[in-house]
This record gives sequence, structure tokens and C-alpha cells, in this order.
Amino acid sequence: MGKGNTSEQRGWDFEAVAMPFVDSLYNTAYRMTRNAQDAEDLVQETYLKAYRYYDKFQEGTNFKAWLFKILKNTFINHYRKKQQAPPQSDFADIEDAFETQVSREAAGQIKSPEEELLEDVLDEDVQRALDSLPPDYRMAVILADLEGFSYKEIAEILELPLGTVMSRLYRGRKLLETAMLDYAREHGYLRDGKPAKMRSRRDSSPSQAGPDEKEGEEYRRKSGS
Amino acid sequence: MNCIRFRETIFLYTDNEMEEELLVAFREHLVLCPECARQIDYTRRVRALLKQGCSKNRAPERLRKRIIISLRRGGAGFQS
Repeated sequence: MGKGNTSEQRGWDFEAVAMPFVDSLYNTAYRMTRNAQDAEDLVQETYLKAYRYYDKFQEGTNFKAWLFKILKNTFINHYRKKQQAPPQSDFADIEDAFETQVSREAAGQIKSPEEELLEDVLDEDVQRALDSLPPDYRMAVILADLEGFSYKEIAEILELPLGTVMSRLYRGRKLLETAMLDYAREHGYLRDGKPAKMRSRRDSSPSQAGPDEKEGEEYRRKSGS
Repeated sequence: MNCIRFRETIFLYTDNEMEEELLVAFREHLVLCPECARQIDYTRRVRALLKQGCSKNRAPERLRKRIIISLRRGGAGFQS
């Protein structure tokens, strides 16, 4: 172990500045790959690349954003193709509900927020909801809501215009919200078995015991859970 | 500002990215419209739920070790 070894010193410097971000990077990698092994490989590869290009990093600029940009590019190059598509049936249902919500808001039928339903949302619902987002939206939401990056930083990480970042966030968050409520609604229905609790946006007619039971069956089956 | 515009721009506000000009109109509406005010709380709760449900994955010890060992070898030993 030689002293003053340039390469070793570089390793120590880099380690000191880079290791504090390992949990954030891993959490993001895990949410993007949805697989622990891939997440570990992705993070390790990110650190390797960051270490190799460390001398290209401009002192005083945003190091965390720089690391995340490397993670993003590594993910796209290696892991994005590997990904299974999000469960299609979930996404189709959710997009339906989302489009309905958007067109109602546009038509001026602003409904009260479904605050009650938030009570029923479990951690697994949230995870499932995030997983169901297409990767482009998911990444933007993770960067903003889990990692606290600003729009400008997200634009830098994703190498996209600010306007695109904002629209991905808007749509991604709305999709997420719709998905979360859908899953919470499932719990409410399954737990109580009471049709009244199932306020389906797709069905504006008041629910009744008979037909609603059938619709609930179909709904559960469609959601594939 | 009307409710539709409010809902369109709500994330700018909750993300602390809203420009001064828009903020004035936004806040005026906020004071006058309880429905929209509730939407702010709702949006924040959704985000809080997201953080609570999806922030738990810490890097496993074996990963930390692998990375640190490789860095201390001067970047050698990384599998690419």
C-alpha cells in the first residue's frame, strides 16, 4: 500500500464524495429496474463510470445530479430493454380512468379530491402504482418526489427541455394518483363488500347490489391481481 | 385565475417553482376557493404517501462493500 499513489488517492477522494449517495442511487435503481440484482449491478456500474470520468466533473457543479445522469444513461443503455413491460391490463385501466378525469376537468366538472380514498392506500399500492408508470414518467416522478431535484436539475439529468420535464411530471403524477386510488378502491370494495364504497368514475349511475357485484368481479379480474 | 388554470399549474406551486407573476394570481384564487385549497393538501398528501411507500430501499451492505473495495483498489475489480 504505497502512500501518495495518485490512483489510490483519487479513489479516497471519490469515495468520500460519492458514497453518501449510494442509498439514493440504489433506491432509484430499484424502482426503475424493479429487481434487486439489476439494481445492484446498475449502481455498481454507475459508480465505475463516475469514477472513471471523475476528472471530467466540474468542481462546484451539482455532483448528485451528475451521478444521477450517469445512472440514467446506464439504465437506458443496459437495463431498459431488459425490463418487462408494466402489467398492460393495469395500465390500460388506469389510462382510461385518467383520460376520463382529464376530460372532466377540462369540461369544468371539477370534483372534490377523493380524500377519503387516500385513507385506504397501502404502501404496496403506492409501489404498484409507481411500478405501473412507463419508465420515462416514472423516472421524472422519482427524481422530483423521492429525490427532491428541482426542474432545472431534472432537465440536466434527463437531458431534456424544461417544458418536457414539466409535462412528464404532470402526466406521471396524475397517472400515479389515478393508479393509487384505483388500488385503494379495490381494497375498500374487497374489505367492505359494500357497493356504495365503490365510486367508479367509469360508471356514473348509482350502484346497486346485483349489477355492481358483477362489475366488481370483472374489475378485479381485469386488474390482474 | 379560474379553477381549471389553478389545477393546471398546481404542481408549479407545490414544487416551489412558480414565478412571482403567477404566484400572485394563484394565491388570490387560493384564498377565494376552498375546493382548490383542498386540492393543495391533497396533492401534498399524495406525494407524502409516495415518499412513505417508495423510499425504503437502502443499498445492501454487500453492495457498499463491493463498491468501496473496488474504489480502494483504484477502480480495479469492478465488473463491467
